[in-house]
Amino acid sequence: MSGGVLLQAVVSGLSVGAVYGLVGLGFTLVWSLTRVLALAHGDIVVGSVLVAVLVIVGRTPVALSPGVAHSIGLVLLALVAGVLLSLAAYAVAVRPFLDRGQRSEDVLGWVAGGVTTGLVVRTGLGLALPAAAYAVPDPLHLDAFTASGSVRLPGGGSVAVRSFGVLAVALVVAAAADWFVRSSHAGRAMRAVADDVDAAALCGVPVGRVVLIAFGLAGLLAAVAGLLDVPGRSVAVDSGVVLGLAGAAAALLGRLGSPRGAVVGGLALGVGQQLVGAWPHLGASWAPIVPLAALVVVLAVRPGGLRAGRQVAAE
Amino acid sequence: MRTFATDLYLLVAAYGLALPVSYAGLPVLGQGAFVAVGAFGTLLLAAHGTPLLVAVAVAVAVAAMAGYLAGFAGARLSGASLALATWGLAWLAYAVLVQFPAVSGGSQGLVHRTPAQLVSPSLGLVVTLQPWVHALFAGVVAVLLAAMLWRATSGPWGLDWSALRTGPALADSLGVPVQRRRRSLLSASAGLGALAGAGTAVLVGVVSPTDFSPLLSLQLFVAVLVGGTASWWGPPVGVGLLAALPSASDGISSALNVDPLRARAVLTAALLVAALTLRRPVGEVVRRLLARLPARPMDEPPTVSAPDRSSRRVSSPLLRMSGVQVSYDAVRALDGVDVDLSSGEVHALVGPNGSGKSTALRVLAGVVAPDAGVVEIATHPAPRPGAAAPRVRAGVVRTLQRTATLGALPTGVQVAVGARAQENIAFLGVRHLLATPVSRAAAVARRQATAGALDLVGLGDRASVEVARLDSSEQRLLQIARAIATGAPAVLLDEPAAGMSRRQRDNLVRVLRRLAAAGHGVLLVEHDMGLVGRAADRVTVLAEGRVLATGRPSDVRQDPAVRRVYFGDPDLGSRPTAEEQTTT
Repeated sequence: MSGGVLLQAVVSGLSVGAVYGLVGLGFTLVWSLTRVLALAHGDIVVGSVLVAVLVIVGRTPVALSPGVAHSIGLVLLALVAGVLLSLAAYAVAVRPFLDRGQRSEDVLGWVAGGVTTGLVVRTGLGLALPAAAYAVPDPLHLDAFTASGSVRLPGGGSVAVRSFGVLAVALVVAAAADWFVRSSHAGRAMRAVADDVDAAALCGVPVGRVVLIAFGLAGLLAAVAGLLDVPGRSVAVDSGVVLGLAGAAAALLGRLGSPRGAVVGGLALGVGQQLVGAWPHLGASWAPIVPLAALVVVLAVRPGGLRAGRQVAAE
Repeated sequence: MRTFATDLYLLVAAYGLALPVSYAGLPVLGQGAFVAVGAFGTLLLAAHGTPLLVAVAVAVAVAAMAGYLAGFAGARLSGASLALATWGLAWLAYAVLVQFPAVSGGSQGLVHRTPAQLVSPSLGLVVTLQPWVHALFAGVVAVLLAAMLWRATSGPWGLDWSALRTGPALADSLGVPVQRRRRSLLSASAGLGALAGAGTAVLVGVVSPTDFSPLLSLQLFVAVLVGGTASWWGPPVGVGLLAALPSASDGISSALNVDPLRARAVLTAALLVAALTLRRPVGEVVRRLLARLPARPMDEPPTVSAPDRSSRRVSSPLLRMSGVQVSYDAVRALDGVDVDLSSGEVHALVGPNGSGKSTALRVLAGVVAPDAGVVEIATHPAPRPGAAAPRVRAGVVRTLQRTATLGALPTGVQVAVGARAQENIAFLGVRHLLATPVSRAAAVARRQATAGALDLVGLGDRASVEVARLDSSEQRLLQIARAIATGAPAVLLDEPAAGMSRRQRDNLVRVLRRLAAAGHGVLLVEHDMGLVGRAADRVTVLAEGRVLATGRPSDVRQDPAVRRVYFGDPDLGSRPTAEEQTTT
């Protein structure tokens, strides 16, 4: 593998990975507050964007550059849809299976709830968008910075200019979310609940409301991830699941429960995926396998990410 | 006939999935992946000239092995990660099939001649696998599975599974080999899934990736969920609903002009929602109906008289730790502590909060690994900390916190789970399915052990009562009964009297004395010095991770060091009781 190809793989990998990191961030947030794995999270990522596209562009979207009003409308609607979908997932598929301490009690229940929510989102959108794949407009105009839409890298490689935009926006949003969780009043309450839900409740933290805020934040992050990822490729209503599982792998790689870990894990996963895809003897057909294989392997060999959950179960 | 045979194969896969999901309570979302391994594995091998039956056997073995390994990954963790791992596996298998045409035959799929023929030149035999042969085979397998599950529920496997489902941590502490049971269930489940896949592939003669999308995993999960917990009739009902899906979705798709596959996904989603919302109410109705039926053999109150355990045995060493050091980060919780326990005695560990008594109990119970020092069980080195089963077999059992219980299982059944630890008979589960004399003798012995344990703690008349109807002190006694039913002579109790009234404490003292008289050694951590004074033969006082004094309660009470450092108050008997104090 030449240096140019290597550099190209790393840069595009960072961009892909930043999206995984954002998805993983929401996943990790939900886990630390409720000890529930957000199995529908990926569907919310893709779903929020597709809902906005359906409302503003209609049932036959094309990847033309939208005007200013449409762009703003798409972004706002996607963010709102992300938050609403996440809150709905919580109300329908998570809340009924938590005990009074807002912790997972009925594992079969919320697992079934999660996959059901995902399936409902996918199939609901599938009824409105029946084709195998769609190209949707990019409201963030991330590829409009250069005329060709791509950047030449030293060594002969080239990457789409939107890769840099995706990376930049994702890192800024992730940093903002990290700041929110670390420093804001609501964020501190979140960490208190994540640390010890009973103690937090005893100290007067409104656990129910905090969990709602966390799910809203996770939905917001999902929508941002969707806005970054979906316009860059052809997308099907089913694409969300794999994205969600990649986010789960990112969160696990960075130790489940750690927001920064999720972003770092996502970046590592993205770079690894692009490197595998660029590897001469493996090739592009291996790339989609990487995040899923990483998820299964991490769960097999490094359960450390879930250690907190084990202690809750054992004591 | 062909559709019927396909549905019967689906039923086999659903029965396989019911083992981990509805019997052991594990969320498995990847059964479709194992079905795909069976289908593609069989046709791939057959395409390369492997005889058909050998190809099926290899594919099933590979899937079973994969399920076993998935069990290794999942079983060490909470159920949550098993859901994620199997859901990931379902999508991974699908991605591999889509990305690698060499494996899946591409969009054409893999094909095999139908009807397939089994040819045995040596016997001069040719069997043509007509659809009715498939239906017969799948039907027989399904009926055998149903019968096996129905029968297993009342036996040792049923006891272990219900313990896995209702309280894995508690089951582990009682010596149930939780991980091994989970792994074997997952392995059997995967193998049955692969068998179903192989059968379907040979029957239909063509397999393509879209037949094995993760939707199949979800559909099988729904089919199992519909029947609720541990029901042998659940999978047929669920598969019956699934079987109605294609015709229903075809109707919908032609009426609404949508893709039939999409319509099928919508109906699956609707089924999932229905199964989910109806799960609790239906389970409740079924439970009430079952409560009206006469009790199954397993639920019968034990009528066998308890064995005579009153003869006092010669005191022998049961458990000992010496020179044990444990540090939590910078804090040294234990700093060279010696504690020992013999049969026939009640030994109390006391000390102020943070003195290390709970840590000492955890080291003895094999929950915490000491940084230095040795732990011996009956003069042999103790097994390394980890699963509790080896320790229970070696003779040490501990109770978990007060609220730990095996769900809503009746009292007698919960104690019988403990009694399983005494059974060291190979293939007892299989023997029970066949109702062999050995398994019947084991059942009688189990009932005796259960009755003995319940009598010893004074719950002899409560065997068939639901745990929810026991008061809190009775639940404490149930904890002790479950533990001693394991037959382990050394019993470790962490604050058995917390929350008990004076009268209940008096009763607990009598129970503890009865345990000692029956030859058990009881080590307890307890704050209530009055109770310790009446129940214990020996007291060890810990302070700041060291042993301050050890001896008879009356002697320790007079020890000046103890009075000065720990109590600082003239009369131990008047110390405040446990209610106000929290554990370390």
